[in-house]
Amino acid sequence: MRKVSVAILALALCLGLSLAAVSAGAAEPIKVGILGPFTGSLAHNASEMKKGMMLALDQVNAKGGVNGRPLELVFGDSSCKPANGVAAAKKLLSRDKVLVLGGGYCSSVNIATSEVANAEKTPVVVAIAISPTITSRGLKYVFRTSPNSPMFLEGINQWLAQVKKPKTVAFFMENSDYGRDGQKIWEAQCKKIGAKVLSSFYFEIGDTDFTTQISKLKKLNPDVTFNIASTTEAALIQKQAKELNFVTQWIGVGGQFTQAYFKMTGPLSEFAMGSSLEPTKAMKDPVTAAFVTAYQKKYPGSRPGIFSSQGYDNLMVIADAIKRAGKLTGDLAKDRDKVRDALKTTDLKLSQGTIKFGPDGQVHTVFPSVVQVQLKNCQSDTYIIYPPERAAAKYLVPPPWPPRLFMLRWGPPGRGRGALTAPGGRGAPRPYPLRGTGASFVFLLLVRTWNRFFCNKWSTA
Amino acid sequence: MESLFLQQVVNGLIVGSVYSLIAVGLTMIFGVMRISNFAHGDFSMLGAYVAVFILAWLPGWLGWVGSLLAAAAGVGLLGILIERGLFRPLLTRWTDLDQIMVSIGLFILLENLAQLFFGATPRMLPDPFGEATLNLGLFSTSVMRLLCFILALVIIILLQIYLNRARMGVAIQATAQNRKAAQLMGININRVYSLTFALGSALAGLGGVLYGTLFAIYPTMGAMPTLKAFVVTILGGMGNIRGAIFSGFILGVAETLGGSYISMEYKHAIGFIIIILVLLIIPHGLFGRSEE
Amino acid sequence: MTGPRQKLLWALAAALTLALPWLISDRYIQHLLVMSLIFVIFASSWNLLTGYAGQLNLGHAAFFGIGAYTSALLALKLGVPPWIGLFLGGFLAAGSGFVLGIPSLRLSGPYLAITTIGFAEILRLVAMNWVSLTRGSLGLYGVPPLPGFFGIQFTTELTFYYVALAGAALALFCFRRLTRSEFGLSLQAMREDEQGAESIGVSTNRFKLTVFTVSAFFGGFSGALLAHYQRLISPDLLSLHETFQALTMTIIGGLGTLTGPVIGAVLLTFLSEGLRFVEDVVKIDVRLIIYGALLVVTILFMRGGIVGLWERLRAGRGQDTEER
Repeated sequence: MRKVSVAILALALCLGLSLAAVSAGAAEPIKVGILGPFTGSLAHNASEMKKGMMLALDQVNAKGGVNGRPLELVFGDSSCKPANGVAAAKKLLSRDKVLVLGGGYCSSVNIATSEVANAEKTPVVVAIAISPTITSRGLKYVFRTSPNSPMFLEGINQWLAQVKKPKTVAFFMENSDYGRDGQKIWEAQCKKIGAKVLSSFYFEIGDTDFTTQISKLKKLNPDVTFNIASTTEAALIQKQAKELNFVTQWIGVGGQFTQAYFKMTGPLSEFAMGSSLEPTKAMKDPVTAAFVTAYQKKYPGSRPGIFSSQGYDNLMVIADAIKRAGKLTGDLAKDRDKVRDALKTTDLKLSQGTIKFGPDGQVHTVFPSVVQVQLKNCQSDTYIIYPPERAAAKYLVPPPWPPRLFMLRWGPPGRGRGALTAPGGRGAPRPYPLRGTGASFVFLLLVRTWNRFFCNKWSTA
Repeated sequence: MESLFLQQVVNGLIVGSVYSLIAVGLTMIFGVMRISNFAHGDFSMLGAYVAVFILAWLPGWLGWVGSLLAAAAGVGLLGILIERGLFRPLLTRWTDLDQIMVSIGLFILLENLAQLFFGATPRMLPDPFGEATLNLGLFSTSVMRLLCFILALVIIILLQIYLNRARMGVAIQATAQNRKAAQLMGININRVYSLTFALGSALAGLGGVLYGTLFAIYPTMGAMPTLKAFVVTILGGMGNIRGAIFSGFILGVAETLGGSYISMEYKHAIGFIIIILVLLIIPHGLFGRSEE
Repeated sequence: MTGPRQKLLWALAAALTLALPWLISDRYIQHLLVMSLIFVIFASSWNLLTGYAGQLNLGHAAFFGIGAYTSALLALKLGVPPWIGLFLGGFLAAGSGFVLGIPSLRLSGPYLAITTIGFAEILRLVAMNWVSLTRGSLGLYGVPPLPGFFGIQFTTELTFYYVALAGAALALFCFRRLTRSEFGLSLQAMREDEQGAESIGVSTNRFKLTVFTVSAFFGGFSGALLAHYQRLISPDLLSLHETFQALTMTIIGGLGTLTGPVIGAVLLTFLSEGLRFVEDVVKIDVRLIIYGALLVVTILFMRGGIVGLWERLRAGRGQDTEER
């Protein structure tokens, strides 16, 4: 039994040593903690957020940092699991002694971590998570630089009421807070506009076979199918809907429309809709355009998506607040309070739009637009179709697969590489001249045949 | 008039064919070597990534055929290396427990190494038919899915022919039935082991290419085929190849029908519920074990 | 356990364990200490079942989750005091362990492994989909903390450390008594040779069920502790990864030994911390790669894990080998 005691002594010694290692060396840069699911199935999206943040970091530090001190990001991996997120947050707060906690992707994680940070009196600025719960609990240190889910879906709700007016709808949602929150909001709207909910299905994150559900949906034949899903699942659903010859108006939140999504679905995702803050779609705005240009300069060949933009804005807001908080005293508790107070009066123009916090710490000044995936110049991409003043294209009703299939049969098979490139060189999107009615059908075919002959490759990867 | 029932059965059969293919490899390895390989699905994942790289380098039909061959060869070779390096040295002294845990360690290792080398970005294989669909009145499916189904069947049939006709194939079956007797009959048991593991892994790799064609390819994709293959294997009786083939289809159809008519949310539980029931009633699976 | 030197060592170790959180003011380290203690209980309970009794349970996370959800739900919905909930969570887990033990009477090896995985997966799906009760994947948050007494609040890492320590001590004491008794010897006989054990009069059925129940109780107990410490639980607690974590900890520490899981749990909890410096350089999550590699290497080259290695070293030096 003696070895137990020896082991305990040894462990204690190790702990002591690691502690000594930590306390040595006072940090010169200002530390900002960033949470996100950097590993696991959402790692890809988290890396987009990180890329946006690294761009913001470069920009801030190139200008000499904040009040003469460089910013340093300390990343904490949540793997999208609340328990891991809480552990990572605790580490960032008490071990790394970060001034502010930024980032944040999964709602379930951020509901927990914001509570942890609030209890530690550390300002936490959530970047992506959309559950309203995060900012609705009256926590004094919690902010969010992106719209929450009701705000995200408001545009689609209006569009449903004013343009689409569906008779029947179905839900096919990710079994997460993300999916379930969205369903609540849309279900209420459907009740208001008199659309009948035919059915609601859930799938697990990481599921790959959706043929069972799609076959059932096909039988129900809803006008609109709400489908909140992440990139991989959303792409697979589009592919399998095609394989099962199912046509519906897909509506998601829009987070799935990433570069990887278009690479996977190619033209299959055409006509799918979502709500989006895609920076590349708002190039009329000089601030957003500058962000896109800078991003593409830093990461050649890639295109900033919504998460990159949200990550960028998140860190910019944090940097700005630290700057306005003035010279740091070195007393962490006091500095954190100062930054919190500075955050409250944030007023910045960034890639998503104006960022100003309401009394609840929620941004109320960012409005996503409704987008639809359309195929133009051989590329499927999202175009704003609502509200009308921002619209870059007209809404197109999804046609049945056979004519679409006719289009797809032409080109050379299986060319996948590099089909999707940065949008820089492309001309401004041209709207189809006819409204999305049955009459536009033939025209659509013509346009696509045209595209077919003049495009030398298809993005069917 | 489309029939939902028939459509679901077809969906189930297509997925089931891939389950069968992957499970046959697993059950073969168990039957001959008594190894339950929890990293089996990760061999599928590696096979799928072989296809990703071949198709990026050589698109079109040729690339598709090439990636099937390369996945079988590559993963089979890896299987030999892993068998020689990990499983063989301990074959004599380990218990069931050690062996399962080695494979769990391998599972964790491969999954995370894949994440490191291939990145987390999900990928899909291009469809050489341009996603052409077959609308057959009662049900619809894509040409590619149908081809996957046919390919899985062809591979399974070829395997059956090999096992029943070829010398080494018969040796594998003999070893599965009775290791000692096979040894006494002059069968080189080590060669049989290597060959079985290579064959089983190659089947997993082929299954991975088909799985990746039907679905998507990402580093953590291996867990699902592993669990499904185990469910199929147990359902068919561990070590029973024919049992695994039939059970694969049974599981595929049971999942789609159960998901469609009972509960979509508990679709992944259906396989487990079936095996728990089967094990309580018939401990050696629906088709019995190959040995004893 | 004789001799003044050993007594002194013991007293020193005990004092150090008690004083540890006071010596370390870093709250993150304190948090890791609490987590490692919870995992000491969890991994040890898995070890009892798999290491001592030879029943390969890959669904141990089910007990973890049952304990956590039971205690949290009782406190949230019915207002049951968490101190009672801790044990009720354990008891419900024990009940389900008994139920799971029944098929195990006839199953072994991969059959048992898959059945137990299935059991945990089904429960995970229930936790995901019974939204009105469990809030699905969002998890239960705002789980009440353990109520304080004598003016001590159990909301900080420092105070909770002692609760977890007491829990771990209780668990280890029970496991020690169990494995040292005739019961434990029969268990080991059963693990080595089930038919042989039966032939000398060991009632394997009764033993298996008892072990399943006891192991599940402490699995559930550790889950309930986690629920009231973290004050947030989600269906991830029931996932295969939690079981693999206990498995890795136990095997690296030493399967089938009392100290193995303790060393493994503490070591691996802090290892992920140590790897942070590596991760900063290579910019990827290397923790799981190292877990996997350690697992394979331990089984291939270091049977018995760290404890086994230590014993071999001592035996190599020709010292007296004391009982485990």
